[in-house]
Amino acid sequence: MSSNRNKLYFFILISCFIGYIWIFYCYTRGSNGASNDITYCFIKQATNIPCPSCGSTRSVLSLMSGDILEAINYNPLGILSSLVLVVAPFWIFRDLICRKDSFHTAYQKTEFYFKKKVVAIPAIALILANWIWNIYKEL
Amino acid sequence: MDSQKVDMFIMTNGKFFESHQVAQIRDRLISIDDSKWSVLQTLQFKDPTVSIIVSLLGGSLGIDRFIIGDTGMGIGKLLTCGGLGIWTIIDWFLIMGATREKNYEKLQRVL
Repeated sequence: MSSNRNKLYFFILISCFIGYIWIFYCYTRGSNGASNDITYCFIKQATNIPCPSCGSTRSVLSLMSGDILEAINYNPLGILSSLVLVVAPFWIFRDLICRKDSFHTAYQKTEFYFKKKVVAIPAIALILANWIWNIYKEL
Repeated sequence: MDSQKVDMFIMTNGKFFESHQVAQIRDRLISIDDSKWSVLQTLQFKDPTVSIIVSLLGGSLGIDRFIIGDTGMGIGKLLTCGGLGIWTIIDWFLIMGATREKNYEKLQRVL
């Protein structure tokens, strides 16, 4: 159990680190006046149709400049991502310092919660709706 | 448990586990009593071949992770466009192992 916890914490910390580097890279690129439309998305490059999370980077960047409405307009999932990026490292460090298990427990609870049909079906519907909105907006 | 039954179980379900786990599973099954046999037979394992196909097709949406029951990682993959596309490629190689790991966890919950 403990090795599972450490693996998860390590993985999430590394992902957050890569996320911050990515955001920093896009931010400096944007402030240098370069166009902000670099894309790494497989689906978008292959089919020219945006994927459900396309626009998250732009959304996080808008949120950083304080424009919440623009952030929601780019992609509401970007707000969720930035929330995870901000909260997760602090939570994990707190757990590591206090030798607690709270983030791991919360993660497992969320997993359990999302496996229930009552939650999973609306969540899938929301993601699909967001995807359709993305295609409509031509992100 | 009867070794013939155990060998039958291993023969039909061996492909769902890592090769190094099979010997452990065999020893463990032989040591438990016959009452678990009916539960064991009803267990449904995820096929690693299916998960690699799903990973190749829907990897950047995290569908492969959702299918094997790794919902948290699936959400992570979905939110990040398949981890900037890198995680998708890494998962093409890892997903079969991850599926077998999940199957092993499922079996351990019953034993």
